[in-house]
Amino acid sequence: MVGYLVRRFAASIFTALLASGVIFVLTRSVPGDVVAQMLGQTSDPTAAQALRAFFGLDQPMYSQYLGWLGRMLSGDLGTSWTRGQPVAQMLGDAVLVTLQLSLMTVAIATAVGVPLGVLAGIYEGRWPSSLIQVFNLLGLAAPVFWVGLMLLVGVSTVFDWSPPLLYTSPRQSIVDNLSILALPIVSLGILQAAAYSQFVHQSVVSAFHQEYVRTAIAKGVPLRMVFFKHVLRNVAIPLVTFMGLILIQILGGAVIIESLFALPGLGRLLLSSIETRDYPVLQAALMIVVVVAMVVNLIVDLLYRVIDPRVRLT
Amino acid sequence: MTSAGSTVTSHAASMAALRRLRRQPGLAFGVLLLAFVALVALIPALFAGQSPLTVNVEQALSPPSMAHLFGTDDVGRDVFARVVHGTRVTLSICAGALLLSALVGASLGLISGFVAGRADMALGRLVDVVLSFPPVVLGIMVTGILGPKTINLVLALGVVYMPVFFRIARAGALAEAGQTYVEAARSIGLSGPTILFRHILRNVLPLVLVQYVILFPLVLQIQAALGFLGLGVQPPTPDWGAILQQGKDYIILAPWVSAFPGLAILTTALGLMLIGRALQQKLDRR
Repeated sequence: MVGYLVRRFAASIFTALLASGVIFVLTRSVPGDVVAQMLGQTSDPTAAQALRAFFGLDQPMYSQYLGWLGRMLSGDLGTSWTRGQPVAQMLGDAVLVTLQLSLMTVAIATAVGVPLGVLAGIYEGRWPSSLIQVFNLLGLAAPVFWVGLMLLVGVSTVFDWSPPLLYTSPRQSIVDNLSILALPIVSLGILQAAAYSQFVHQSVVSAFHQEYVRTAIAKGVPLRMVFFKHVLRNVAIPLVTFMGLILIQILGGAVIIESLFALPGLGRLLLSSIETRDYPVLQAALMIVVVVAMVVNLIVDLLYRVIDPRVRLT
Repeated sequence: MTSAGSTVTSHAASMAALRRLRRQPGLAFGVLLLAFVALVALIPALFAGQSPLTVNVEQALSPPSMAHLFGTDDVGRDVFARVVHGTRVTLSICAGALLLSALVGASLGLISGFVAGRADMALGRLVDVVLSFPPVVLGIMVTGILGPKTINLVLALGVVYMPVFFRIARAGALAEAGQTYVEAARSIGLSGPTILFRHILRNVLPLVLVQYVILFPLVLQIQAALGFLGLGVQPPTPDWGAILQQGKDYIILAPWVSAFPGLAILTTALGLMLIGRALQQKLDRR
């Protein structure tokens, strides 16, 4: 186990390092830099040169990269080139918004999707299962942002209500905070609940076909007991892996939904920093996305080993 | 005689296909949906008489009517015509991007699995890096950096799912490389590339094709998302995601501008998902 942990950790760090290189090169490939943006039409070469030197853009690529990497590892994410704020603070605020959105979505999607999937599995071949499968298919096929838009239209026609335009943090007012987050969470949640439900449904159906389950049923173990002791327990294991996948998907979906509902999260920061060529912010935002995705994968891997003793030894 | 014989067999084959469709209503529905969408993409003029580009400001944002089935957008263009003509634009971008992913990803995967060793290790790490980005974020990054042009969109979407094809082809090649027939081919002196492209490819191809269908709806959604963020196809070219984006600002006033392209995406994705599911089940049974 310890050997595995060390290997897994080392591989993750190596991938993160490679990813940081890719991120750095990609950000620098954005056509037109911050200097050109700042100076606009006035192309004074002396001013441009001074600004380039100020931002360190006159140095060779590799030394810019190593400098960034070194400062990042020592905890210094730098200052935003366009807003002058510390990147760490901007990123921290944005991450909190996205994190709240993602976690609440996961919670709701799990609470809705898992029972639906279990029901669909129990009623396999009968109408409740078909109905749930239709929900799954539609939920998976509908684009997240379109669902968001349609919800917006729906609540405004039916309840004559629309979410506030300005974001409020939960510390300022939990009611305002939830009322702006409600629609984004539901739009993301429908998709993820459908994904969950489909996955759980398939797992339940395949668990019912396992020999040990059939044996248990054949030797007269009450169905309820078979279900809770054999079927559900075996559905839980792949569910852990799936949860990690869902979290990463939500992170991607959040980027789009944030731009639709004007939430000041990671997605909006990412888009605005691409637009303004704000390298320090863009690099840090991308890096955090990659690191979060990696940590989620790592946790899932470890949890999987804790839950299922069969994989622990390999 | 031969032609009569082949007619009989092709007739029997199509009857068998029909029977299979009747046994699987989900698949039949998916095929029907996709056939319809494909027809729209191939001959848009058959469905929409109006031009998707004609501006008529006096008619701006008028609701669906007999004259404009899906209503009009903010400059008075017919949304129905835009959605119909957008079908080919949207689907060819997705199909092209996925073809790029499949060709590059699967070829690299095949070689990586067959050659093994250091090259395999290096490619594996590279794939890990690409996989460490959520697909939408990767798409935003690449289109944001390369600029919103159609060719860049194809490139960006192509990169996103390359690793999936890589992994499938690599796993297939690894599995096949250990089979007796490969050993036999080697022992009679066939060269590596011959074995790879004549024998292993043939066995890995079905996996790649099924994956193509399964990934198509996902690519469609990312393509639409990028269009929605303004990073995709640029106006006035009709594209489902782009039309949705144009309607966003008038969503309460004129929900039809965004509603219908979204429905088009949903319908296409649904058809593809139903077909993909049936194909996957068939593959699993083998």
